[in-house]
Amino acid sequence: MSHDNKTEQTVLVDELEGLKTDLLTLNMGPQHPATHGVLRIEIKTDSEIIASAKPYLGYLHRCMEKHSENLDYRGIIPFVDRMDYLAAMNQELGYCIAVEKMLNLEIPRRAEVIRVICAELGRIASHLMFFGTYLIDLGAFTPFLYAFNEREKILRLFEEVSGARLLYNYIWIGGVWNDFTSEHLTRVGEICDALHQQLSQYENLVTGNQIFLGRVSNVAVMNEELCYAYGATGPVLRGAGVKWDLRKNRPYSIYPELDFDIPVGKGEMGTLGDCYDRYYVRMMEMRESIKILRQCLDLIEEGPIMAKVPKVLKLPPGEIYHRTEAARGELGIHLISEGEKKPYRLKIKSPCFTHVSMLPAVAKGLMIADFVAAVGSIDIVLGEVDR
Amino acid sequence: MSHDSVEWEETDDVLTIRKYFSNIFKGFFSCLKGLSITTRYIWAEKPVTIEYPEVKEILPERSRSRLFNDVDDCISCTQCALACPVDCIYIDSEKREETEPQLKTSNGMPIKLNLTQFSIDTALCCYCGLCTTVCPTECLTHTTDYEYSQFTLASMKYDYLDEDVKSWKSRLKK
Repeated sequence: MSHDNKTEQTVLVDELEGLKTDLLTLNMGPQHPATHGVLRIEIKTDSEIIASAKPYLGYLHRCMEKHSENLDYRGIIPFVDRMDYLAAMNQELGYCIAVEKMLNLEIPRRAEVIRVICAELGRIASHLMFFGTYLIDLGAFTPFLYAFNEREKILRLFEEVSGARLLYNYIWIGGVWNDFTSEHLTRVGEICDALHQQLSQYENLVTGNQIFLGRVSNVAVMNEELCYAYGATGPVLRGAGVKWDLRKNRPYSIYPELDFDIPVGKGEMGTLGDCYDRYYVRMMEMRESIKILRQCLDLIEEGPIMAKVPKVLKLPPGEIYHRTEAARGELGIHLISEGEKKPYRLKIKSPCFTHVSMLPAVAKGLMIADFVAAVGSIDIVLGEVDR
Repeated sequence: MSHDSVEWEETDDVLTIRKYFSNIFKGFFSCLKGLSITTRYIWAEKPVTIEYPEVKEILPERSRSRLFNDVDDCISCTQCALACPVDCIYIDSEKREETEPQLKTSNGMPIKLNLTQFSIDTALCCYCGLCTTVCPTECLTHTTDYEYSQFTLASMKYDYLDEDVKSWKSRLKK
């Protein structure tokens, strides 16, 4: 380059320096429809491009873990429900299995099958909720109504069986509260058939849609290394192409007897680990859950639904860490007992907390609208993040 | 410079005229596919919503809604208050004099204490149902009544010894 050019360039740079502006700080939340609850993300933006994002937690903190130290083991179950209120059955299952392992309790066969049916129905209901709200985030309202129609059938069944629509308190230490009647089991089969049909309709409506693909492919890539670095689990990890599912890799309950696949992201519509892959994994997981439910309906047999549990429950001194595959990822229950009626400490490792911490790593360079797509794709429930 | 530009052309990201128009067509037809589904819903599917104040939903029998205590059957054992994880049940009782006539609950349990207070703060209640499962006389139950909104928090605290609340029995008891 010639000397003249260089001076011309420096003049231009000087002019631009004079025009240089500060980054704009923008608070996304705590009352923002796209944050799925009360999450505040402080975004620094350079016009439409995000320079940094920092999540602030604690708006839904209810001291669940501290409360648990003053409750008996049965009284904790309603509190565990209220963490992940969209898939409460999976949370109850994780907690109850941890307590039962401490007690060395043998669970009746019928109760085990009913538990798996409830957990898988809960997973489907949670993923349907994801499908609906994620598309609202992206600007499509109709799929939300279709998803809620299917979800309503599951919630109605839960209400008839357990007595509540969201916060069930149904899976108890030693079994389940109420029994499924044969009519309820037929209903589970009907829900499976209807959902199977609906899922292919959703695929026609949304998955193949070019506008949807434009919004989600190549956006917020969480690749394998990033997932390992932050400790991501569940659909986020599987979306990065890692075949890891605790139901298969560290089986519990009756999952070893069941035949199902682990769907993983393939990077079909862009980079491996983008928003599309996380969406795809959840949609395929619903199909797998239907497979599990149909097998459970064959496996179920007559019998008791509660094991013999002492009226005053005292756990032997010791501690346990048990993890289960909840709808949003790996739920870990760390329980320390000192032989009293109440636990000494109950620590809960929630998958959503991990996934929220991954947001700053992917936010840089995204548009604000794409960031909304990124927040939606990790499917967080703030009740579980803050506990 | 020239080497860079060659590499750039080789990537998929470059927008050619052909790609531009094929994108538009793809977008148009995939939207048409979706629209055919939504249009079908206008005529082929029946509405699933309930028009609430006119049509009232009947909740399932096991549904856990407003708590009701039949105080005539209550033996003041306070097991429900102990089981409650949020401590919203307040019970007070005094010893029954021997001179008073002996009372029995409907399932034959002798009543040894006089109930002086039985109130539940429904605003605190978390509707978990743990209190109803421990009740030995099954007098404390969840009903399927769900229309009980109030103007103040204080009025959510029900005194079940009150005559007004007692009169719910004929309406609510399963």
